[in-house]
Amino acid sequence: MLDLKHDLRLGKTRDEQARMNFVAGLRSHVLNDMANGMRAVYDAEVEPAFRRKAGRAPQDGPQVHQAIRPNEYFKFYSSLRVTAQDMVWQSVFPPLERQRADLKQKAKSLATRRKSGSLKLDANLPVPRSVSALDVHLMPGNYDGEYEKDDLAAGSLYDNGLAVFSFGLMGQNLDDIGQSISRFVKARYPGFKPQDVLDLGCTIGHNTGSWKDTYPAARVRGVDVAAPCLRYAHARAQAQDRAVDFEQMNATELKYPDASFDVVFSSMFLHEVPRKDITRVLAEAYRVLRPGGLMLHMELPPNAQLSPYDAFYLDWDSSYNNEPYYKPFRDLVPQQLCEQAGFSSANYVQFVVPSIAWFGEQAIANAVRAPGSVDSDKTGRLSDGLQWYCFGAWK
Amino acid sequence: MKAPDRQPMRRSVRGGRPYFFADPATDKILSMVVTLASEVWALRERVMAMEAIGAKRGTFKPGEVDAYEFAPALEQRLAAERQEFIASLFRVLEELVPKKSATRKNARKTAKKKR
Repeated sequence: MLDLKHDLRLGKTRDEQARMNFVAGLRSHVLNDMANGMRAVYDAEVEPAFRRKAGRAPQDGPQVHQAIRPNEYFKFYSSLRVTAQDMVWQSVFPPLERQRADLKQKAKSLATRRKSGSLKLDANLPVPRSVSALDVHLMPGNYDGEYEKDDLAAGSLYDNGLAVFSFGLMGQNLDDIGQSISRFVKARYPGFKPQDVLDLGCTIGHNTGSWKDTYPAARVRGVDVAAPCLRYAHARAQAQDRAVDFEQMNATELKYPDASFDVVFSSMFLHEVPRKDITRVLAEAYRVLRPGGLMLHMELPPNAQLSPYDAFYLDWDSSYNNEPYYKPFRDLVPQQLCEQAGFSSANYVQFVVPSIAWFGEQAIANAVRAPGSVDSDKTGRLSDGLQWYCFGAWK
Repeated sequence: MKAPDRQPMRRSVRGGRPYFFADPATDKILSMVVTLASEVWALRERVMAMEAIGAKRGTFKPGEVDAYEFAPALEQRLAAERQEFIASLFRVLEELVPKKSATRKNARKTAKKKR
């Protein structure tokens, strides 16, 4: 299993490490082996039975979901996946609870050790109910849970949990999305030299810092509504010597002047946002972008571009992993969203970028010449051979 | 201003978890089995680590582990850890217990006082 390398990583006893190893292994088994098994069961039993009854194949994700629900293999797959999700967080609590005071102390000294990045919190910012009233990903306490003054434990829970959750597929620093996509942008648009980059809904900033790595001359900023994650993000960036500025802000209402950024990025963010707020986020992205700037969102691929089975497969999280806005987002058409925000349809872009952690550096250069396909069952899916989908537009 | 005391982090999910089998008990038993499997695996890693250390130092003799008896202090520690282990195995059932009566230890204390 992946072990975080930065100064904020939690110390673990032999048994705690072994439990994490087990959960990571369990998730790999469920999301690779059992996912393949479920597809085989669907093709051999569920789909033919549906055809016999309806005279046609299921036409969309919800129909596949309805048809597969009574199937025993689906039930074991789903029940095990929920159990594993729960165990991800439960495996982090014992070492985290033991080291909370120490973690806080480390963050404090990291803040003064190097003066590179910054942290600006806004205690008066209302946390939207889509965050404050929900435990997204079944993570107890969610991103914003606070249990003491200046708390950053939620950030640690997320960082260490993600290391277990991703079973190595999000890179050694959990920044595979940021690394893969920022390097793809650089390779694809060699003349583009962004000076200011903004990451929306950045949580612990694990994908924010990648933009600094790819464009060292740029000023990179990350915003989020959750204070404990931002405190952790700041300390994490300091520990890794990345100059990133973190600010507590709602992406629906950015406090930056018009035309302040050359890149407005987000990863795995829009699908956690209610429908009405997605429109506001994209309008704000348009507003703060400079002419010639790029808005880019790494996301799960839209349902309209997937087969009914793959749509069902990705929608699983919306139904069973406490992500109520995930399916509604994926039912939208990204290009229309960009146009509604003010971007010209001619300036729309979408890419499928191979994971650097899985395929290596050279694959990024290859993908510039031959992009991956959206409807592959490896796109946006946490399994071996994964690739990332992103969409956006030039202003 | 006095900083608020540190509260333990909440470990249960708001709204609970979804169930898939006709009887949710099946999902719960599956969760117990997987927790058990996790502990079995943790033991295997631990034993492997100990054997590696023991072999390196040349401290293990054949049959020594089988014949070993725990000292009282270690026996006590094991007993406490055993209870924690059993509690974690059946943790999923605690979510069925209403919050008020969840703190059974406190309830017992109050009962004693009354007497």
